Amino acid sequence: MPGEKNFFQTFGKAFVKGDIFTKVSFLVWGLGYIGHGQLMKALLVTLVEGLGLYFLAFYGAPNLAKFGTLGTVKMEMVFDVTTMKNVVNNYDNSFEILLMSMISFVVIAALIAAAMMVVTSNYQLQKIRAAGKKTNSFLQDINVYLNEKFYVTLLTLPVLGVVVFTIVPLFILIAVAFTNYDQQHMPPNDLFTWVGLTNFFTLFGGGGMTSTFGYSFAKVLTWTLVWAFFATFTTFFGGILLAMFINDQKTKCPKLWRTLFMVTIAVPQFVTLLLVRNFFSNNGIFNTMMANAGVTDFLHNIGLLDKGLSYIPFLTQPSWAMFTIIMINIWIGVPYQMLISTGVLMNIPADMIEAARIDGANPVQMFFRIKLPYLLSVQGPSLVTDFVRNVNNFNVIYLLTQDVFVTNNQQLAQSNAKEIDLLVTWLFRLTQEYYNYKMAAVLGIMVFIVCAVFTVVCFHFINKKEATFS
Amino acid sequence: MSTTTINDAAVQKQLRQGRVKKTIFSIIRHLILALLAFIWLVPIAWLLLTSFSTDKGINFTRFVPEGFTLWNYTSIMTAPDSVAQFPRWFMNTLVVACFNCVISTCFVLMVAYAISCCRFKGRRLLQNLSVTVNLFPGVLAMIAVYFVLKYMNLTNSYAGLIMVYAGSSGLGYLICKGFFDTVPVSLREAAKLDGASEARIFFQIVIPMSRPILVYTIINSFLMPWTDFVMAKMILNSGVSTDWTVAIGLYNMLQKALINSYFSRFCAGGVLVAIPISILFVIMQKFYVEGITSGAAKG
Amino acid sequence: MKKQISLALAGAMALSLAACGGSASTATSTPEAASAAESTAASTEAAADGDVLDQAAAAAFSQDVTLTMWGAEEDQDLLREISDKFIEKYGNYGGKITINLGAQSEKEAKDTVLTDPTAAADVFAFADDQLNELVKAGALQEVQLNADDVKSRNTPASVDAATVDGKLYAYPLTADNGYFMFYDKSFFTEDDVKSLDTMMEKAAAAGKKVSMDVANGWYLYSFYAGAGLNLGLADDGVNTVCNWNEAPGADVTQAVIDICKNPGFISLKDEEFTGKLKDGTLVAGVNGTWRANDAAEAWGDNYAACKLPTYTLNGEQVQMASFSGFKLIGVNPHSANVGAAMLLADFVTNEENEELRFKERAQGPSNTNALAAASSPALTAVVDQSEYANLQRVGGNFWASAETLGSICVNGNPDGKDTQTLVDDAVAGITAPVTQ
Repeated sequence: MPGEKNFFQTFGKAFVKGDIFTKVSFLVWGLGYIGHGQLMKALLVTLVEGLGLYFLAFYGAPNLAKFGTLGTVKMEMVFDVTTMKNVVNNYDNSFEILLMSMISFVVIAALIAAAMMVVTSNYQLQKIRAAGKKTNSFLQDINVYLNEKFYVTLLTLPVLGVVVFTIVPLFILIAVAFTNYDQQHMPPNDLFTWVGLTNFFTLFGGGGMTSTFGYSFAKVLTWTLVWAFFATFTTFFGGILLAMFINDQKTKCPKLWRTLFMVTIAVPQFVTLLLVRNFFSNNGIFNTMMANAGVTDFLHNIGLLDKGLSYIPFLTQPSWAMFTIIMINIWIGVPYQMLISTGVLMNIPADMIEAARIDGANPVQMFFRIKLPYLLSVQGPSLVTDFVRNVNNFNVIYLLTQDVFVTNNQQLAQSNAKEIDLLVTWLFRLTQEYYNYKMAAVLGIMVFIVCAVFTVVCFHFINKKEATFS
Repeated sequence: MSTTTINDAAVQKQLRQGRVKKTIFSIIRHLILALLAFIWLVPIAWLLLTSFSTDKGINFTRFVPEGFTLWNYTSIMTAPDSVAQFPRWFMNTLVVACFNCVISTCFVLMVAYAISCCRFKGRRLLQNLSVTVNLFPGVLAMIAVYFVLKYMNLTNSYAGLIMVYAGSSGLGYLICKGFFDTVPVSLREAAKLDGASEARIFFQIVIPMSRPILVYTIINSFLMPWTDFVMAKMILNSGVSTDWTVAIGLYNMLQKALINSYFSRFCAGGVLVAIPISILFVIMQKFYVEGITSGAAKG
Repeated sequence: MKKQISLALAGAMALSLAACGGSASTATSTPEAASAAESTAASTEAAADGDVLDQAAAAAFSQDVTLTMWGAEEDQDLLREISDKFIEKYGNYGGKITINLGAQSEKEAKDTVLTDPTAAADVFAFADDQLNELVKAGALQEVQLNADDVKSRNTPASVDAATVDGKLYAYPLTADNGYFMFYDKSFFTEDDVKSLDTMMEKAAAAGKKVSMDVANGWYLYSFYAGAGLNLGLADDGVNTVCNWNEAPGADVTQAVIDICKNPGFISLKDEEFTGKLKDGTLVAGVNGTWRANDAAEAWGDNYAACKLPTYTLNGEQVQMASFSGFKLIGVNPHSANVGAAMLLADFVTNEENEELRFKERAQGPSNTNALAAASSPALTAVVDQSEYANLQRVGGNFWASAETLGSICVNGNPDGKDTQTLVDDAVAGITAPVTQ
């Protein structure tokens, strides 16, 4: 749209052409509105601006000043016998500095954007007044926020929540990737500081001869992708097949069957996962059953199981664990997918099926020519998001293998990774058990890049395909 | 004459054969289903059986416990000790779940409606941003979220936990938006012509039409505190067991030092949590499926 | 040294005074406080210890004080009892004392505390292997009230376990956190339990098992240290020194692999131990006092405990060594009431309460007098083993690599690597410098 100007152009024009009130309102928001006869609004915006500036002056500025070094004064404590309390010096807390600086950046950006909007809106008021029309009263203004600008009312709180609890933390963690925040540099007792791209070099094989992060990263990334692929497609097709099987006219009491499978959804995932972990443990009940049934001996005989093992290492040896985890994930994921597929399949236009039946299509053709394409067209995008979700599927891997799986690979062990770790579980353990926040942050960024590339490629492909269809 | 009877007999034989074949197939079909259902239910059965076991720890050798008792249930319900504070956990979780349910549902509906039905500058940008943010692993930001809460003095409080759950709930608007996309534009246009404000359209026309997605959103946000333990464990870190939610408490029962005396009570707790959720599911099943599929269809 | 710090501190405080006026009173009192600390430290030797504590209590409890204390889940009732006694003892100084109890297993205390030391409990129990990391992270307060008394009333080994660089950082709580051998008296004679080979042979013949958690650096140490190999903390206090890859390290590894393959042996994680005890699989097992009750329950009158046996290395019998283990009580320096917290920590670990702990929880006291009065099979085994036990001082990189080495042995060396390569790889990981 050629007529439409972007935000900055509108602001530029308003600022240049605005009268003195409009211009001043960039600095003191209320002045413009006072000048343009909107007292109530003037009061409100000045209050907001005041709060913002107050925060910046008293919390933002002191921390922003130390942003370059992330603090220089170490904590010192002295025990005071007369008061029986510790006396602490005025130390710097690197994490607090980072946190407050990030919040300040967000506040500054918000203040500038708001100031620009105030100027633009004042210019509008100025024009209205210049044209001799009446400007909105306060009540009318409120009304606007229930009508044309209803979206502002709707979005303010949720966006604020996302900014505070998602975006700011993400900024902080991205910043941590460029620092040396680890167990040797933990606030409040110690300081950490910027180290540039060192951590990224460490991840890609640099960082000294003893570092095995590069090796582990390649291994873990591969398994993450393999897992995400299998986890997504096994549950997807498993769910579809089960749904069609149950919904087939020849199946009696479909509702009963569906309910049976859905029982697994009703028990919270962490309960079932922890339960199943004990079910499959080396000396657990399932191994006892297998041994009694002779399966363990059978596996010994066909050479699938090392002779030295008296049990099947379902969750303790890499290849077995990978297999078991994917199986357990099918067990968990298929009922959900069945539920969704049931719904989607019911939505297939009846005439399409009817037409196919008249043409004499057999069930197999029906599945591959009509049902599957329909399901894919409906669920294609959600398959992509499922894949991303599985890359980040923390619960399944963590709950099944934490405290159970021990790696047999010294190189992985050195960088605290395991064969069955996903990038997210690896980074979680790095933070929780080894306080290696810097490497965890780097891994987090890598996860993001993997997911972003995958998503962009997939949606590019999907959009292209849709375009050729229509 | 005779030929016809022969024919008749042949046809009948064929028919009978067909019927037999059909019944055999039907039996096989149901056997497969039964087998699958059996596999799906084995762990659940183990959960149930163990929850009635007289053995307090894990029994490695017997699937069906030696003796049955209700003690595990009565113990966690009526005799809380320092480890198991189930009634307290249940209440804590219920409070968090109710608040989170209300706030999150509102947030999701608000964002979904704004993105789906309102036209404004920056809408596309907002959508892209939300997709991008969703690509970052959530566990990464956790430690920072903890410190954000700490500076707000909200750690170890349910308000803080609720804020964390509800705060980022706005990002999960996609399925709901997909549903709103299916609400005919003409309906809203007509209402607008009648002089209804956007707000009125939202509350009086779109929301009442969106029962399935409403139910779906409510169930999801209600269940969140019952299943999340990573975030909750981080925020409620006083170590005082009466402060915990069900998920942290049950998870804690399985730590090395406790598993041998608390495993069957863990199972009982799991069953007790599963009961309300199952009831919720059974009642809302229809809406749930409708919501998720209609949302996914356009999502 | 301390003087220098306090002077610097006073300077810093004076500077900060300009910024925030509120802290004026604390700032001015700092230098005196420091000198007072020195004088009390000096006078402790002369004055009776009770006076110091009384003075301290008078200062600490003149106003209301709330303390949080973390201890093991199983100890909660005991801790409540002790806390009540504490409140009774110190409640008459004018302030109201409130003690909140939290459950935190001693083994994992470090994980919770280090995530955010400022949010951790004022007083917490932990296992002595975490001492170093906690001190490094500034999460432990040096014992400054009655350090000499604490040192004199506890066994020297337990005091060593609570000391870093000559400073006492925690109050010894128990002295039995190491491991030894449990066995069934009706199955093994006292001669049998002297050799692991005999035990496994007898167990295998009866279809029973002897257990040990080999896939765990803590227990795996037993074999290598028994063979005279070295593992310890480097001078920097962060990294680990280890020579398991020197002779006879490779042979030890082979011996461990052979033991794991023995039909009379099973490697069990701690949480699996009890289950296997109850179902009758085990006739003996290496574990610690925390499983003493389970073992006594399973074997009844036949329950017995002894020091670790010998194992066969290159045809010779070698006595298995072990880590000695202690539980300690630490005070969080970030506590708002450090002094009160120290008094509580001191109270929890005094002779009377350690005796009580032994009575109620069967945990072996670190207090010399209480230890002399206590007696149980497990405790005797701990004392017998202590001759071969070493203080647990290793860096953070030990555990993952050792665990993996143990796991390879348990799984029968699945990749078929040369045993020398196995220990070389492990030592490379163990001694790798902690990332800087």
